[in-house]
Amino acid sequence: MNPAKRSLDAAAWKDKLKTTAIGGGALVFGVADADSFEAAPEGYRPKEILPSARSVVVIGGAKPRAGDWRSPNYQHMELSSTNDRMTALCMRLAHTIEREAGYYAVVVPPGVDEGQRPFLSLSLAAELAGCGSASLAGPVLHPEHGFMYFAALVTTLPLSPDQPLTDPACPAPECIAMYEEQGRTPCIAVCPIGDGGCLGGSIEDGRWTGRQYDRGRCMARVYNYWGPAFQKVMAEVLQEPDKERRRMMIHSSLFTRTLWSMTYANISQGQCFECIRVCPVDEKTRHLKQEPEP
Amino acid sequence: MAQTPSSQPEKPLDLLRVAEEVKSAALGYGADVVGIARAEAWEKYVPEGYRPYDLLPEARSVVVVGARGPTAGAWRSPNPRVMEVVGLDFANDRAIAALAGFIEREYRHYAIQAPGLSVAGHQPPFSYMLAAVLAGLGTRSFAANIVLNPRYGLLYYSACITTLDLPGDPQLEQDVCPHPMCVQTYKHLGRTPCIAACPADEGGCLDGTIDGNGRIDSVYYDRERCTSRAMNFGPVAFQKVLADLVSEEDPTARESKLHSDFSARAISGVSFYKESVAQCFECMRVCPIGRQERKLK
Repeated sequence: MNPAKRSLDAAAWKDKLKTTAIGGGALVFGVADADSFEAAPEGYRPKEILPSARSVVVIGGAKPRAGDWRSPNYQHMELSSTNDRMTALCMRLAHTIEREAGYYAVVVPPGVDEGQRPFLSLSLAAELAGCGSASLAGPVLHPEHGFMYFAALVTTLPLSPDQPLTDPACPAPECIAMYEEQGRTPCIAVCPIGDGGCLGGSIEDGRWTGRQYDRGRCMARVYNYWGPAFQKVMAEVLQEPDKERRRMMIHSSLFTRTLWSMTYANISQGQCFECIRVCPVDEKTRHLKQEPEP
Repeated sequence: MAQTPSSQPEKPLDLLRVAEEVKSAALGYGADVVGIARAEAWEKYVPEGYRPYDLLPEARSVVVVGARGPTAGAWRSPNPRVMEVVGLDFANDRAIAALAGFIEREYRHYAIQAPGLSVAGHQPPFSYMLAAVLAGLGTRSFAANIVLNPRYGLLYYSACITTLDLPGDPQLEQDVCPHPMCVQTYKHLGRTPCIAACPADEGGCLDGTIDGNGRIDSVYYDRERCTSRAMNFGPVAFQKVLADLVSEEDPTARESKLHSDFSARAISGVSFYKESVAQCFECMRVCPIGRQERKLK
């Protein structure tokens, strides 16, 4: 019997998917109503990925561990943090929905469509599914876990949606206090848009407003060993008149790291974590033991 | 909504028991072997900047896992190109990523996945090979200095550096290489099987001698020659293709090279398929260590 013919216990299915996600390594799980993506541009909404879509399932996790944040070797963070674990886990959930529940499910492609635009904004999906809220620094932050990587799937399975957070994770109380004292938050202080950085904004009534973000500047600093770096090096190589220098540039350490990063090794695609390093939202999760047991 | 980490243990950890739990978890995450080295063991072998506590302050121990690459069936395939595309599935990396999370979650101690890839030239911030030796998982061999495990032979290694103060495993007392059969071969032919398969004095990469006690006396390894043969469809090959393209003045030849079979394989190898980056397994193919594990029905 086609599993779809059986009566559907939507609550049980949501529990099953959540259990599978958490058991597979996700830190958060949420569901957004497929019709709630009005903020997304036409062509980039759930039903334009999957007709008759009812739900968008969002998972988040694979964030840098407490130990990663403590490493004094900045190159460690460049080599370890990845988002593909969440995408793979999301694919497992999609298979579960199709094979066991008999409903269609499509994993939102983690890459971008034309014009560097995501097929479906994972940030928006995470917010709508109650997995976090937008931040001054940019990433969607979860109140307990802070920064993490998200993945999402669109499905015709009708699940009860979660609601966006009523209390945003950002600004944290510590940031509000700092802003009142110094006129800037930790993330803005570490990367101020008026002083060669990427971030700006203000806080009014405990909520941030007037956010400024220099995306071009941020991208140039964050993506140094990935697709954009490949384009940078190749553009320079093709402008280089000397043949031997062209060959040297192709075999340089920068280009070698870029190739490993964008291809085989699954190494980090973002190298600047400084706004998140100073973020207090998940500060408590970064403190573990380092002394020997008594 | 969010998963809550395990509550912090109230009483001191029984570190011997914890070491067993950590090892059991590593095997459950897909490792074939697991061992532990004390962080201070690196002092004797590497300069400042490359020790565990240079990557994680207050690091006490390093958990090392090894996982098999090619399956027994892949070793039997008469088509050598099969091994070129199925050599590695990252089981070691997956296991160590899961294990680092396990240690932070269960024992509330810091843990990081040690960075083993080169960041400049051929220099990684952390040597997995040394870690495997110090954790008692294997010893270096005549075959390109590959660390051989006594049971499985060739393994792919990853490591997790942690502040958890785990007891270290002893290093292997007995060298894995040379195998007694190789010592006999050396006595009769003056070469081990791996050296015979790839002799440095006949255009190959390996050479070495065995002393009177049946132990490695000297090793020669031509790394550049080996790399140019072993890495032909990974990022290194892609660089070769690109370097060739950007230095080719003739547009027709350039287009021809771009659409060549080698170029197409190099591109597919580095992109979607994540194919093996090592294509020459000939020194390992003739190695008797781990051969028992490759015999199936």
